[in-house]
Amino acid sequence: MRAVDPHAEGIRYADVEFVVDPARVSAFRAVFGQSDGVPPTFLTAAEFEVFPQVIADPRVDLDFTKVVHGGQTYELLRPLREGETLTVRARIESVKVRAGTGFLTIAMDMVDGLGDPVARTRSTMIERTLI
Amino acid sequence: MTLSLGDVAVGDELPELRRIVTPGDVKAYADASGDQNPLHQNDEFARSAGFDGVIAHGMFTMGHMAACVTGWVGDRGSVVAISAQFRAPVTMGEEIVAGGRVRALDTDARTATLELWVSSRHDGEETWPIKRGEATVKLE
Repeated sequence: MRAVDPHAEGIRYADVEFVVDPARVSAFRAVFGQSDGVPPTFLTAAEFEVFPQVIADPRVDLDFTKVVHGGQTYELLRPLREGETLTVRARIESVKVRAGTGFLTIAMDMVDGLGDPVARTRSTMIERTLI
Repeated sequence: MTLSLGDVAVGDELPELRRIVTPGDVKAYADASGDQNPLHQNDEFARSAGFDGVIAHGMFTMGHMAACVTGWVGDRGSVVAISAQFRAPVTMGEEIVAGGRVRALDTDARTATLELWVSSRHDGEETWPIKRGEATVKLE
């Protein structure tokens, strides 16, 4: 049975830019009934600038039809600012396969236009065996 | 307004935050977040993946948990860390309940560490979409 490839551990992706678009922040806030600020979990939108590359990466060999989100960590060195552009640096931090179930952890560093770190994210995807 | 260190004690509970999850909420979340996985929008796809029907994004549930925290602390900018593991799916029509309590205070850093959770009910059984969430928030 195929599963996510453990050799993918350590892969780094090219920097991607992410604009903290005020309209999108506003739509995100609205989902959670909030009126101001950038919600901390809005970082997920920046992560989704990179996830499609990982999903399509033959070196990772992930079957996205079997993927669920296992866990998520965000660290914010400061709040995100609406309108700013972040540079997103992503890497495959770990890949584990246990009893045919794959665990893929993608870590990202987000830095601002001055090169200062803004946030660190870690997302674990679970590739389930049985459908 | 942000809570001050003096307003908070270890063991304090955060006010519960409840919401019933609808397909409209999940679609709005998909559009705002960029996560268009059909698992969250297409019942047929979700059933083929072994679920009863579409499930909410884990990050929808975590966003709700974060809203519980920011509603309590009073300043969205003051969350310095937040994490969750997703333990149970949330199907449409479920009422999810986010809650938490203060586990520790750091008087030098002026931060509070919170333990957090999101519970729900599915087919009459209590479920824990998030059982051991955590956050660290900066206080005034």
